[in-house]
Amino acid sequence: MAKKSKSRTMAVRLISMAMTGYYRTMIRPRAHRPLSMMKYDPVVKKQVLFLEATKGGRAK
Amino acid sequence: MATTQASSISSISKIPIRLRNFLARYPPQHYSAAVAPTPDQTTTTATTKTITATATPPAESAEPADAPSFPTLPSPYTPNRDAKGHKRPDPTAPSASRSLLYSNPEFPNPFLPRKNFRTGKWFGPVVGLRRQAELVKMAAKYNLEGLLPAGKKSTEFKETRRAERGLQIKGTGIGQKVKGHKWERTMESRLEDRRKAMTEMPEMVRLWKQRGHGRGWKKWPRR
Repeated sequence: MAKKSKSRTMAVRLISMAMTGYYRTMIRPRAHRPLSMMKYDPVVKKQVLFLEATKGGRAK
Repeated sequence: MATTQASSISSISKIPIRLRNFLARYPPQHYSAAVAPTPDQTTTTATTKTITATATPPAESAEPADAPSFPTLPSPYTPNRDAKGHKRPDPTAPSASRSLLYSNPEFPNPFLPRKNFRTGKWFGPVVGLRRQAELVKMAAKYNLEGLLPAGKKSTEFKETRRAERGLQIKGTGIGQKVKGHKWERTMESRLEDRRKAMTEMPEMVRLWKQRGHGRGWKKWPRR
């Protein structure tokens, strides 16, 4: 049986670097580089850096 | 003199008849808690206490000046619960509160049960716990609690026992901690992490912008 093909896009989790445990989930093309952006963290009430969490800790 | 006598008579007449009858039946000079020797004192002090008790009957004289100290006794706070299979403390073990329950063999305490050592039989107290409590409340109202025999309903006994038992809530004793929820236990370290991360944030953002908004970024967080 043929292996199930992976979807073109994937859901990724962007974690707040303020270490508040707050995160946002986004969708990006699988072939795209990891996402990172400045976003608002409601816990510290500031714009902070959000970085994509890698599954299994593998940096792309 | 006559006036003082008259005033004392009038003050006595204010005492409820039930309490008066009890005190007449069990004279304080023989039965009261003030006559009972404190565990760490000799009989000589007991006799002096008798005198003071008869001279000034109010409850203050009945209270021992220093609380009885038992260095060998276990801590009055919650016992060590780390030990497996925690047992209730032995109720028959000697303790500060139990030592207050004194009964003179010559004048047996009507508030305490007694054992006939010849037959080995136990007899209940002459005055039951309900009536004891009523008498203690009545006596406390007229500041005469020191005249009553030692019993489980006396304020002194109750206070001593409370001190022995502590709050009986796990973690409230000396050197113990209330466990609390995990979020409460880890709160401090988490706030510290957050504070540290926020102080390093501008530098991190500067680096991130420098490396092409994430293009050259190597340290991705783990999920």
